Amino acid sequence: MSFLLIGDLSQSTLDPAGHGAAQIADLFLWMLGGGVLIWLIVVGLAVYSVVVPGGHRPRLTKTLVIGGGAVFPTLVLTSLLCYALAMLPELHRPPPEASLTIDVSGVRWWWRVGYRTGENQRVETANEIRLPVDQPVEFKLTSEDVIHSFWIPALGGKVDMIPGRETRLKLHPNRVGTFRGVCAEYCGTAHAQMAFDVLVMSQADFEQWLRSQKRDASEPSGRAATAGRELFHRKGCGACHTIRGTDAGGRVGPDLTHFDSRLSLGAAIKPNDADNLRRWISRTHDVKPGVQMPAFERLNQDELDSIVAYLEQLN
Amino acid sequence: MLGDRRIPDGGEVMAMTETRNRDEIYKTDHVTSIWWIVAAPAVWAVHFLASYLTAAIFCAKFADSDRSAGEVQLAVMAYTVVAIMIIAGVGWSGRRRHRDGHDRSPHDGATAADLRRMIGLSTFLLSLLSAVATIFTALVFYFVGTCH
Amino acid sequence: MNTDAPGEASDDDRLDVRLDDRAKRLLDAWRTPTGWRYWTAVNNSEVGLWYVVASFTFFLFGGILALLMRIQLALPDNDFLTADQYNQVFTMHGSVMMFLFAVPILEAISILLLPEMLGARDLPFPRLSAYGFWCFVIGGVFVCGSIFFGVAPEGGWFMYPPMTTEYQTGVGVDIWLLGLSFIEVASIAAAVELIVGVMKCRPPGMQLNLIPLYAWYILVVAVMILFAFPPLIAGDLLMELQRSLDWPFFDASRGGDPLLWQHLFWIFGHPEVYIVFLPSIALIAMIVPTFARTPMVGYGWIVLAAVGTGFLSFGLWVHHMFTTGLPAISIGIFSAASQAVAIPTGIQLFCFIATLLIGRVTKSVCLLFTLGGLATFIIGGLTGVMVAVAPFDYQAHDTYFIVGHLHYVLIGGTIFPIVAGVYYYYPAVTGKQLSEKLGRYAFWLMLVGFNVSFFPMHLSGLLGMPRRVYTYPAELGLGTLNLISTVGAFVLAIGFIVFLYDVLRSKKNQPLVPRNLWNAGTLEWLGEVPDKPWGVRSIPIVESRYPLWDQEDFVEDVDAGRFYLPDAEEGLRETLVTSVVDAKPIQCLRVPGPTFLTHFAAIFTGGVFILSTYHWYVAATISGVLAFITILVWLWTGTAPIPEKQEKDVGRGLTLPIYVSGSKAVGWWAMFITMLGDMTAFISLVFGYFFYWTAHDDFPPNGSSGPGWIWPSVAMLTMLLAYLATLAARRWNRQDHAVRFYGAIVCGVVLSIAGGLAVLYGPWTHQMDPTAHVYPAIVWVLAIWTALHVVLGVVMHLYCAARRAAGRMTARCDADIVNVTLYWHFLMLTTAITCLVIAGFPMVAK
Repeated sequence: MSFLLIGDLSQSTLDPAGHGAAQIADLFLWMLGGGVLIWLIVVGLAVYSVVVPGGHRPRLTKTLVIGGGAVFPTLVLTSLLCYALAMLPELHRPPPEASLTIDVSGVRWWWRVGYRTGENQRVETANEIRLPVDQPVEFKLTSEDVIHSFWIPALGGKVDMIPGRETRLKLHPNRVGTFRGVCAEYCGTAHAQMAFDVLVMSQADFEQWLRSQKRDASEPSGRAATAGRELFHRKGCGACHTIRGTDAGGRVGPDLTHFDSRLSLGAAIKPNDADNLRRWISRTHDVKPGVQMPAFERLNQDELDSIVAYLEQLN
Repeated sequence: MLGDRRIPDGGEVMAMTETRNRDEIYKTDHVTSIWWIVAAPAVWAVHFLASYLTAAIFCAKFADSDRSAGEVQLAVMAYTVVAIMIIAGVGWSGRRRHRDGHDRSPHDGATAADLRRMIGLSTFLLSLLSAVATIFTALVFYFVGTCH
Repeated sequence: MNTDAPGEASDDDRLDVRLDDRAKRLLDAWRTPTGWRYWTAVNNSEVGLWYVVASFTFFLFGGILALLMRIQLALPDNDFLTADQYNQVFTMHGSVMMFLFAVPILEAISILLLPEMLGARDLPFPRLSAYGFWCFVIGGVFVCGSIFFGVAPEGGWFMYPPMTTEYQTGVGVDIWLLGLSFIEVASIAAAVELIVGVMKCRPPGMQLNLIPLYAWYILVVAVMILFAFPPLIAGDLLMELQRSLDWPFFDASRGGDPLLWQHLFWIFGHPEVYIVFLPSIALIAMIVPTFARTPMVGYGWIVLAAVGTGFLSFGLWVHHMFTTGLPAISIGIFSAASQAVAIPTGIQLFCFIATLLIGRVTKSVCLLFTLGGLATFIIGGLTGVMVAVAPFDYQAHDTYFIVGHLHYVLIGGTIFPIVAGVYYYYPAVTGKQLSEKLGRYAFWLMLVGFNVSFFPMHLSGLLGMPRRVYTYPAELGLGTLNLISTVGAFVLAIGFIVFLYDVLRSKKNQPLVPRNLWNAGTLEWLGEVPDKPWGVRSIPIVESRYPLWDQEDFVEDVDAGRFYLPDAEEGLRETLVTSVVDAKPIQCLRVPGPTFLTHFAAIFTGGVFILSTYHWYVAATISGVLAFITILVWLWTGTAPIPEKQEKDVGRGLTLPIYVSGSKAVGWWAMFITMLGDMTAFISLVFGYFFYWTAHDDFPPNGSSGPGWIWPSVAMLTMLLAYLATLAARRWNRQDHAVRFYGAIVCGVVLSIAGGLAVLYGPWTHQMDPTAHVYPAIVWVLAIWTALHVVLGVVMHLYCAARRAAGRMTARCDADIVNVTLYWHFLMLTTAITCLVIAGFPMVAK
């Protein structure tokens, strides 16, 4: 099915990289085949009835109504129903006890991600999820404001994030690669720009990454970056963002402790490079309308450069 | 006036319907039988709601930590037996009226007998559909036995 | 088969003078007002036509919004519209198409055609239709207008809280909630009209096995409206209470639950799809036999399909909520029902095909649109079965796959058949025919444009494109598919323009069509060309499903006035009422004529909703009082007038009563049906109460004070006495005991007031604060709902007393008190349920 992977970003349900998605893609192809066949027969019959001048025997048509209209669909639907129902328990069964558990909560319009690393221990990140290959993983999904929906098309189905509830989703990636997840439930102005990156990696790579995420932020090196850290605090960025190991401890916006390790910014809407970062900080609402962060239009070029230099060292 | 010979007048129409009623064995049958049409789907609806509510309330309020829903499966099995029995009864009575006098479809005469037969046919067919839909609901509980 | 050439319309000349006088009198009674008074008309042929035109206008508006969206999505990262503009546009597109086009158009077509199909002169409540129409126009213009001021709702047509309750603070959401609730009320009015129309206003002899299939479908659909719309109205009420008074129904932090809205919305929303689809299938069921020249095959099967779909469609709503994290067991149940509903749909299709096979098909544009619609619809039906399979829906839900699916269903299953219907019925309404040539152009443009536009959407969805996105990044590779969709959308639009041109172009030089142009067999083709306002010259006795084909000299006899009501001796508008099952004539019903009252009533009712949107509550209250007074005047002067004589000769030696009351009367049925809808809304609120119970570990919450059991019990007891007083009043009125009657009414009024206050006093005296938690809020809602109904019950008591005092109600002509008693049955049930729930359930739950 790789020809269907037209874009650079992999967000396709037809190019599955997980058990659930693969099962569902198979199911779809079967239904598609059956559907095409049924459509051809019914429409062919309708066209025939008009093109070939009528006068067909009533008894034949009676058989047609009973057989084609009632009995055949009932049989087809019954088997489809049984097939689909048989899939349900497995899709809904929670993964084994010790499986990796990740908390994700939807916030307008980004994702707060927390890895449970032990009793009461949590590593927080945002807008990017890394998973070990061939391991079942359970997501615990919540929302901090409106209803969102958590969806990684390549790995499996979606589940909504609803205020006041915790919903669960089990996924089981089986192929290393980079994929894209999106919010599937309309959630307001920037709904279209609420995405995240998903990296499925080998067990060893994943563990190494998780270890690196547990660490506090690295000290800035170089003048620009040091000035950048200073500016970051002076401009009050820490009121909304957390950078572990510094005074910045805000919870309103995404955790930036390892910001530079992420592939993209703005909830996976632009590649994470210096130019995009500059634009994001100074003209935030042009990049993503409706976003809560104020645009820092007043920063001069030097200031902007130093903040960017600082953030780029948070790896 | 040509029409006077052919068209029954008002008194006659009333009288005709009176006669029709006298002809029928089941005197008020066809008057009440409109309810027969919706009886079978109504049973489906009750079965459907009962199954859904039992499952939803059980899973929300009473399920154990292992989330098994065996009690619900038993309950729904009982509902299904009852529902199918009622639907079968309704369907059988519909079929009997549909076949009354060995008449075949389309039951399009302006007589009380054809009215009865048509309502019987609809009742019968709706019972079949309702039975299928009820069994569909029951199938769910065969395949899914937990509250996950 | 009877077709008179139009040139021979001088039939009248050959009739004798006496008949001519009768025809003249009949014509006078049914004459459509002219000049500016034209707009006071209430007859179905005028109101129905306006309704059709207004709905189509809204359709075009919705279509333009769709094109704006397609322009925005043609290219990735496009900036033709801003995010907020796009969100307003897609919200309005969905809302307009569903609430201002799809449902109203079916009501419009039915108001226009149903009486003709039933050989009735009008529907039983013409003024109600007119009132509904004017409400629809006022509400529709109000809702649509908002987009020009940039304040349109932007919460999607589904308006999910808490986004719409806490995060969108503008008037947009209020416009949606109040404007559309107003229109929903109009829809329910039309449903009442259509149900009573099908059941009671058929021609003599048209028993249930002979009624046109269209009528079967409309009966089913109208009943569905009756049960589907009230849950949404209940939801609207809760949401508006949260928005304006901060009662936390959907606020999770105070015990509310956003999912309750989704349940209420989709209990409406899914049947809605079938409410929209079935009437279009009904049009096909009329068109197919005509062009196949043979009766429809499988009449009983189609009745099965219509009724079966009507029922099953209420068991599907959760399939819009498959991804909300429900247990697999619940999902399975709704998945199963969603599969089952495909069975009756398949049966209908095969009945149509079988009919075409048996008959000898005449080709025409109508048939082209019918078949094109079916071929398109089947694709939508098949993808519908796919998304009913829950695991597949986990992927497809909220993606462009669904956008593709639903448009295949709605455009294939609804728009194409409606266009076919327009080509089919245009000659019956206007006397001119649409162009077959232009029709073919329009058809191919629409069919190709539609498929080019919507087929690629299935693929974009599977490639991961979510719905309701105002933009998408180029890197996703969805640009080409979206560009193709946009091109297709414009081709489709051109097709519609061709069709519109054909409908609107001047046809002055075109000859009138012959009567019954297509040689159809059903009664709506009795209409003369040009049409006369009386509908039919005389109301026929029907003995066949296709009387124009099967009954000898049928048209001549109708035209010669040889059937019923060929005259209007008193100059009044009259039609026949028959019994429900076997269509025995039981009453000569006098229907009201032109009036301005309906306009005032609509304007003042609209005022209540529109002024509340802007929180101008004083003005809204004044408007409400005016609406109330207008409606009272309307009822007082227009309903159940005591006739100058008890009976009248309706022709052919048949004498029928003019005044009936109880279950024989159309008014009784209207009250009964309205109250079923009212009860459904109430039950939806009760459902809310128990929904909170299932969603919470402790509900009612520990430590919260309930309304206690004393006052609710007092309320129930007093109301029971008031109810008995009402029953007594009906009895004593019938026995002509004036003093006892008035005494019973006074007792009823006093007891009701006490009962209503007692219902409210429970929560009041226990200081339940509705803004603190959802528990007090839902208790208050049930109590206030009941109290308001008690107030209405009191007004009805006083109305009956006044009617009797004014000599407008007598011992024999007692429809008012009989209908009021019927209302009171429901009121008693409402009170009992409320008291048992709010007082009894906390005891059980503890």
